Amino acid sequence: MIHSVIERVDRETPTTVTILFPWEKEVRPGQFIMVWIPGVGEIPISLSFTGHTKGITVKSYGPTSTAITKLRAGEKIFFRGPYGNTFRKHDGKALIVGGGSGMAGLLPLITPESHGLVSARTKAELLFADRFSPEKLTTVTDDGSSGIKGFAVEGLKSMDLGEFSMMYVCGPELMLKSVLDYISGDGIDADFSLERHMKCGIGVCDSCSIDGLQLCTQGPVFTKSALLNSREFGRERLSVSGLRVKL
Amino acid sequence: MPSLKTTITGIGLQNPLMLASGILDENGYTMKNILECGAAAVVTKSIGREERTGYRPPIVAEVPDGLLNAVGLSNPGIDNFGNEVGIALQAGKPVIGSIFGGTADDFLYVGKKMEEYGANALELNLSCPHVLGVGSEVGSDPELVEEIIGELKNKIEIPVWAKLSPNVTNILEIANAASKADAFVVINTVRGMAIDIYARRPVLSNAYGGLSGRAIKNVGIRYVYQLYKETGKPIIGVGGIEAYEDAIEYLMAGASALEIGTGVYSKGKGIFSEINSGISSFMESEGIASIKELVGAAVQ
Ligand SMILES: Cc1cc2nc3c(=O)[nH]c(=O)nc-3n(C[C@H](O)[C@H](O)[C@H](O)COP(=O)(O)O)c2cc1C
Ligand code: FES
Repeated sequence: MIHSVIERVDRETPTTVTILFPWEKEVRPGQFIMVWIPGVGEIPISLSFTGHTKGITVKSYGPTSTAITKLRAGEKIFFRGPYGNTFRKHDGKALIVGGGSGMAGLLPLITPESHGLVSARTKAELLFADRFSPEKLTTVTDDGSSGIKGFAVEGLKSMDLGEFSMMYVCGPELMLKSVLDYISGDGIDADFSLERHMKCGIGVCDSCSIDGLQLCTQGPVFTKSALLNSREFGRERLSVSGLRVKL
Repeated sequence: MPSLKTTITGIGLQNPLMLASGILDENGYTMKNILECGAAAVVTKSIGREERTGYRPPIVAEVPDGLLNAVGLSNPGIDNFGNEVGIALQAGKPVIGSIFGGTADDFLYVGKKMEEYGANALELNLSCPHVLGVGSEVGSDPELVEEIIGELKNKIEIPVWAKLSPNVTNILEIANAASKADAFVVINTVRGMAIDIYARRPVLSNAYGGLSGRAIKNVGIRYVYQLYKETGKPIIGVGGIEAYEDAIEYLMAGASALEIGTGVYSKGKGIFSEINSGISSFMESEGIASIKELVGAAVQ
């Protein structure tokens, strides 16, 4: 395991914090680390800060993620990585689409020119929406407390996608599937960063696999064309035991 | 061009390299993908009678020259595994069903189902505990091993391979108890452990684990050699094969076929075709026409 001492913890939403720590390692947007809380567990988290100071943005959910959100500045953080691939570079106009904590992995891609679609359950849970200039931002909430009411794809329907040639998308798999279905016939290209259950992070346990490929080593970023031909994406996955279940 | 074809217990293999149990072999599509990457056959993850979630992560630790793992026999239960075997078989290559249990009855129940699903052979994971979570390994109890293999050989048509653990005082005693098996698979992981000195605790959630990869290659070579020499049984060599030289070393020690696990992690899925082309070049330059000529070539 690698360890570092936490420099700072920022609260982003009522349930989400960013943990910043120094780590001399070159990492690329889209990559993740396996974060270990001794005695509790280990989970994959994408890097939301990829400069000299690294950062992860974590939503309290299960026992391990909850323990991570309770870490304080000055405490040690244990992890291994970086793992996984990165997003394709794109010169044209791109739209960044993040659902829930999915915005964390997209944060390193945001520049002053970026256009964004940020979705969450409620206004308070919108993550990193303030990183976009207001005229380039669309928000979508399940309860309608900010922007468009509904799921992320409703936001896309309200926009003219014709001005974009690329999309970078991250969020729950069913959200990604609805986005893929919506743009499947369009000329717009897209990279999707997938989130699936990961036990090992290094391509041995098969828990994260999709169509024979491992999210942890051959993903987590997959191209639109790869996913269009997928039999498992948005449909089925294996549970912790290895049981095939519907998504 | 020399031929890489080999046969093990009547099962024809395009080349000697199979995927080892427990690495990328829980999802049928992944097994199919590995077969398409050049493996001659795949061995499934070890499957038991009941669904099990296994241990909490960390279940693996990257250590110098290998991996430590304690996955905890997570599996969907044999009744839920037919679909995965079926998907893997679509690649048109052999699929070997790895099974575990605590009793002969467990092994028989799971083995029968594997046979029904279309598995080409059974591989018995004897490195599992008697009572899950506690107790010594099934594979260190010669009487139980004899009973399990006797039952299976009476009631199952497909070949039965016994995968032996290196974690015993006398491997020959277990091999003798398993003498009705059609082949031996040697070796399973070597008991090990890792501690994180900054966290001051074991890295694996189970504390104890099994060591695999290069770190154990020379343990495997030794047992393959010994069992080939002492029993004359067909042997499948496994443990730390990451380069063609390792593969040839195992063949010369007496293995007729090989399995690769940790090498898929360290070298990627291209490892099967890479090692095959290395074996092929070696055979060509050494004037060897078939794999058979290599098997046991170093045994004196
Ligand atoms: C993550 C992992 C999981 C494993 N799971 C199983 C298993 O379920 N059943 C089994 O018989 N062997 C299992 N093994 C052992 C391998 O099949 C193999 O015997 C051992 O790793 C040595 O080969 P290698 O050095 O090529 O990995 C596992 C090994 C690893 C690394
Ligand atoms: S998390 Fe284990 S293979 Fe991807």
